[in-house]
Amino acid sequence: MALTTAPGRTTRTGSPRPHATRRGAGRDRHGEGLAGYVFLSPWLIGLMGVTAIPMLLSLYLSFTNYDILTPLSEVEWVGLANYERMFTQDPSYWHAVQVTLTFALVAVPLKLAAALGVALLLNKAWRGVGLFRSLFYLPSLLGGSVALAIVWVNMFNRDGAFNSFLAIFGIEGLPWVNDPDWALETLMLLAIWQFGAPMVIFLAGLKQVPSELYEAASVDGANRFRQFWHVTLPMLSPVIFFNLVLETINGFQGFTAAFVLSNGTGGPVDSTLMYTLKLYISGFTDLEMGYASAMAWVFLIAIGLITTVFFSTGRFWVHYSDGER
Amino acid sequence: MHPATSPTAGTPAEPSHRTLAPRRRFLRGLVAAVVAAPLLFGAAACGDDSDAGDGKVKLSIFWWGGENRAKLTEDALALYTKKNPNVTFEKTWQANQGYFDKLATLTAGGNPPDLFQIDDNYLSEYAERSTVLDLNSYSDSGKLDVSKFPKSLLEYGVVDGKLAGVASGENTQGLVYNKTLLTRNGLPEPTTGMSWEEHIAWAEQVTKKTKVPGTQDPSADYKAFWVWLRQQGKDLYKGKDLGFDEADVTRWFELWKGARERGATPTPDVIHEGNASDVTKQLVVTGKAATSWVWVNQMPDLKKNTKDELGVVAYPGDPSGQWARAAMYWSVFKGSKNRDVAVDVINFLANDPEAVALLGTDRGLPSNLDLRAKVSETATDPAMKQSIQVETELAQKFGQAAQVPIKGHSKVKSELVKAAENVQYGRITPAEAAAQYVAACKSAIV
Repeated sequence: MALTTAPGRTTRTGSPRPHATRRGAGRDRHGEGLAGYVFLSPWLIGLMGVTAIPMLLSLYLSFTNYDILTPLSEVEWVGLANYERMFTQDPSYWHAVQVTLTFALVAVPLKLAAALGVALLLNKAWRGVGLFRSLFYLPSLLGGSVALAIVWVNMFNRDGAFNSFLAIFGIEGLPWVNDPDWALETLMLLAIWQFGAPMVIFLAGLKQVPSELYEAASVDGANRFRQFWHVTLPMLSPVIFFNLVLETINGFQGFTAAFVLSNGTGGPVDSTLMYTLKLYISGFTDLEMGYASAMAWVFLIAIGLITTVFFSTGRFWVHYSDGER
Repeated sequence: MHPATSPTAGTPAEPSHRTLAPRRRFLRGLVAAVVAAPLLFGAAACGDDSDAGDGKVKLSIFWWGGENRAKLTEDALALYTKKNPNVTFEKTWQANQGYFDKLATLTAGGNPPDLFQIDDNYLSEYAERSTVLDLNSYSDSGKLDVSKFPKSLLEYGVVDGKLAGVASGENTQGLVYNKTLLTRNGLPEPTTGMSWEEHIAWAEQVTKKTKVPGTQDPSADYKAFWVWLRQQGKDLYKGKDLGFDEADVTRWFELWKGARERGATPTPDVIHEGNASDVTKQLVVTGKAATSWVWVNQMPDLKKNTKDELGVVAYPGDPSGQWARAAMYWSVFKGSKNRDVAVDVINFLANDPEAVALLGTDRGLPSNLDLRAKVSETATDPAMKQSIQVETELAQKFGQAAQVPIKGHSKVKSELVKAAENVQYGRITPAEAAAQYVAACKSAIV
């Protein structure tokens, strides 16, 4: 900030005494830099106090046996013991990893597909399209709300609304949320249903595709499918990339629904034990905050790696029309 | 104002400062203000502290429970303030779910309440980490009068020789059944002293006749498992170790596998619903089973959630497997500046006739036996009367108090749910589940 403003100022004044001006500019640069920090300070204090310092503290704690109740001054350094235990002695840790991967691998692609499909439908100019856009967006406004998760649990109970609906066709439903084989699928459905946010981004992306490309394609005799495949998808790929990265990170961090559905236990039989839920239980129910911190750092690194993989493979399929990568 | 800013602000004409541009001085002032602001707030917070030297004390107190408990507690505390005008309370309460998360977080933040409610699931965790005050010296000096407490109830608050918590009331395990349903179908009511086999056979009959499953399957319920173990001459804990082995767990799971096969219990998904600790989800009140496994002092709350009449007896088997359990405790934070006052409040809540009358049996039967007798005489709520009556009867047959659960107990509980449900859903055999469970427990309690 200071670096960009100072030269600009020098040019504007166009001073005939370069030496004096440099001194003056130096002082001003200092002053304006300080002003910048002052104006940044609410955010900086927030970043340092609420994010950076606690994060670094948790990195330290991940090498200790911190249990919340013992004062920080008395925690013992245990080296890599927490990490060792996580990788070699805790089967439920690997179970949680498996549950989370399954969830993300199934829910994220389906959610993006639903978002893109509906965005394509809503990209047409027909009467009432605005209303439908709002309606489809609505579920994601309710976001990770607890109320929504409670509704979901009641809908997918043995005697819930969904089974009453099935009963009309003479099908006897399962106790979806209370069945270890189906509880996670019910959570996935909830996540997929909330496709509003990526849908709106897809819609905006679709509006940006120049119509002359479609005209040219149809002159060349491309049908609707080929137009979608050869025009829409490449033109939309930066938006798809953006949504994919964001939704993957979101998918890995799913917590609220799993917490509510299982009363904070990850049940039935650990079928909804998402990574974040396992972390929460370790930290707050079992009071093993050092262990939970180690889990959090492994999680952070894993998400970082996955995002890196996305970015490094992006160049092969993400198409930027202005020629830049 | 922050002391560092006053010299600068007070001497604006000082020569050495003249070279500073006015804007710069302004900025410097701004920085000082930004830096000083938290200090000021901090100082203000300190000024608000409880013991201001004039003898006035503001005691923070924290408990879990519903609105009814809040009202009773607030009334009792108001009475204390009336008798001790120097002491006022900062009251915080919330539902049981999330209570211990909050208590742990408050403790970690160095700002725990002076006085808080706790139960045997967490007492050891807090006592072993020296978070709670040892109340022995107070009971020795008589400032905390426990002379009217049943001895075993008092002992159930002792961890490593320290009196970590004072029982706010006594309760014990209770098997609650739907009386209306049984009478309507001409079925006998369960009785205290029935064997486990008899209970399961009875439940099978109930299922056949009423189409409502006769009993919730308690194989995931640590308190039922605990009573059963004690009846086998075992226990949940023995010193710092487990009081049972794989063979015991296998037998326990097999007992209930048999019951499920005979149709005495609901389907696994319904059992899972009933495994939630929430009173409103107990199958006996949701109508999904004829009996539920609860604590006797939960009777009034259960009754509020159903129109049917309820009855309560001891868990099956020899009732000497049960003991006078502290329904919950009051504990004092070790670092509290007001610990003497906090102990006095505990003493008041346990021994003042008016306070005990106000509180009733909401936190279990009053610990003070003399006052318990009085409360029983004057009780009007039928559900409360019933729980008092059953508990008083059972008290004659109680066995020796169990040991307070050790560190790692929360995991011993949650792993039992997982293992039992794994068997219920038919995913693994009782023996496999028992092996996994014991292994998980062993790594949890080290």
